[in-house]
Amino acid sequence: MSGDVRLRREFIATVVLLVLLALLPLVTRDVYWLGVLVVSAYFAILASSWNLLAGFTGQFSLAPAAFAMIGAYGAALSAAYYNVPPLLGLLIGTASAGLIGLVLGRIVMRLRGPYLALTTLSFAEIARLVASNSINITRGDLGLPIEAWFNDRVIWFYVFLGALAFVVCGLYLLLRSQAGLFLEAIRDDEIAAARSGVRIVFWKTAAFAISSAAAGFAGALYAYFASLVTPELGLVQQTGLVVSMSVIGGMGSLIGPVVGAFLVYVTSEWLRDVGGWQLVIFAALVIVFARLFRTGLWGLITTALPPRRRAAGKPA
Amino acid sequence: MSPLLSVQGVTKRFGGLVAVADVTFDIAPGELVGLIGPNGSGKTTLLNIMSGHLSSEQGTIRLDGEPCTGLKPQRLARRGLMRMFQLTRIFARMNVLDNLLVGGRALGLDAEEANARANALLEELQIAHVRHLDAGQLSGGQMKLLEFGCCFMRTPRLALLDEPFAAIHPTMKEIMSRFIRARHAEGQTFVLVSHDMPVIVELCPRSICMNAGRVLSDGATSQVLAAPAVIEAYLGGAAA
Repeated sequence: MSGDVRLRREFIATVVLLVLLALLPLVTRDVYWLGVLVVSAYFAILASSWNLLAGFTGQFSLAPAAFAMIGAYGAALSAAYYNVPPLLGLLIGTASAGLIGLVLGRIVMRLRGPYLALTTLSFAEIARLVASNSINITRGDLGLPIEAWFNDRVIWFYVFLGALAFVVCGLYLLLRSQAGLFLEAIRDDEIAAARSGVRIVFWKTAAFAISSAAAGFAGALYAYFASLVTPELGLVQQTGLVVSMSVIGGMGSLIGPVVGAFLVYVTSEWLRDVGGWQLVIFAALVIVFARLFRTGLWGLITTALPPRRRAAGKPA
Repeated sequence: MSPLLSVQGVTKRFGGLVAVADVTFDIAPGELVGLIGPNGSGKTTLLNIMSGHLSSEQGTIRLDGEPCTGLKPQRLARRGLMRMFQLTRIFARMNVLDNLLVGGRALGLDAEEANARANALLEELQIAHVRHLDAGQLSGGQMKLLEFGCCFMRTPRLALLDEPFAAIHPTMKEIMSRFIRARHAEGQTFVLVSHDMPVIVELCPRSICMNAGRVLSDGATSQVLAAPAVIEAYLGGAAA
């Protein structure tokens, strides 16, 4: 199937999924479950931004939660110290994460596999510890309060759903442009991409910066929802959750991380009563998907669907 | 005529091993040069240096009179130097058409031109029927043809082909040979690394034979293959 056709199909499926999700407040107005859906949408943005790096460019970063935390602090600090309005705060949070991502992306661009993962993990821990120990500025683990933008959970749900739709549309436009072609080429074989004339350093750095900015955007929005920003947002466990969501949903597809985020987060809340076992269940699921279904749930669904156009067969 | 490619005193060491030792030669525009030699003679290392995938310790390389020593592969590609690898390098999770489009778009063709060029290449290389398959699903020979095609999305000034005929079906070998002959007739310049001597004899008017990192012989292919030093390098003591 042509890459364009595949991407368009995934985009349409994502739009359908978002429309279905938008109907949920008609089913429930329960404040708790609306909160769960809001956090699911937050993770869906994070997982989609991480998927741009890991799924479409082949860069396995362990810092998406750290960039969300940076975005959240960008918004919260500007609101606390300069009384910045929410829209400008969102912009500041997004831009600070994007700029730091640009610098980090430039530093790690020649690293691959475990070296890249370890470097981004170290960065994430440094960022979290700096936020935690800068008590005079951030109030450390006490958290930095920020005035909520809205108080109605239904409004918040639609704001987050709109933000998710915005990020998914942005990623779709990026991936169907020649940038998407180059990023996928880098993911598959960096040496062959360089041989073909692709500017590896430029595109890898750009992907890192865009992914970081999207994570920062999610974090900044979350700050206005939660009304409190703490270093916990950048915990490595949060990154683990983002990775699990992408793997279970389907890395390298536009819709996979969105499906994974809602499924994993809603199910984990549903399984809250079983206590620590919920973590065991998700860890086991990640192992099963990583070992047996590497294309994730979305891959399983597309395999089960009848092909719309049969491509010519492979010769013997 | 000034050379298209000028390699002067290029040396590369891996620890104590001298992989390429003081190699010097020129390639004129429109030449089709065979680069031959036994395994481990330094052919691929030299190609890696010429295409920017390895740096050399000494020596200079000029492309069309301009220094290009140490330039990255992507910059050399944009200056018209294309490389095909001995071990096939394609974008396995992208479809065949997109594999070709990557090079076309990166080298400045617009979407329409790149599509037209890619489809024409697929037809000429007789793999148009698999254009929508993921490249990783192709047979080994089709993958070779695809990588070969990737080098010609924009007409290169110099194509470096490393073992394009290794382990492929004779029909596919003939498709590639025909393509090379046709482009050479139009003035395209090639360096062709191969262990397939009949193909070298048929395609390459000039050959350079390397052994132990050095140029052993350089000249008309028939003379190079008849040189006692070349025969000894290939057959060892048996030739003595």
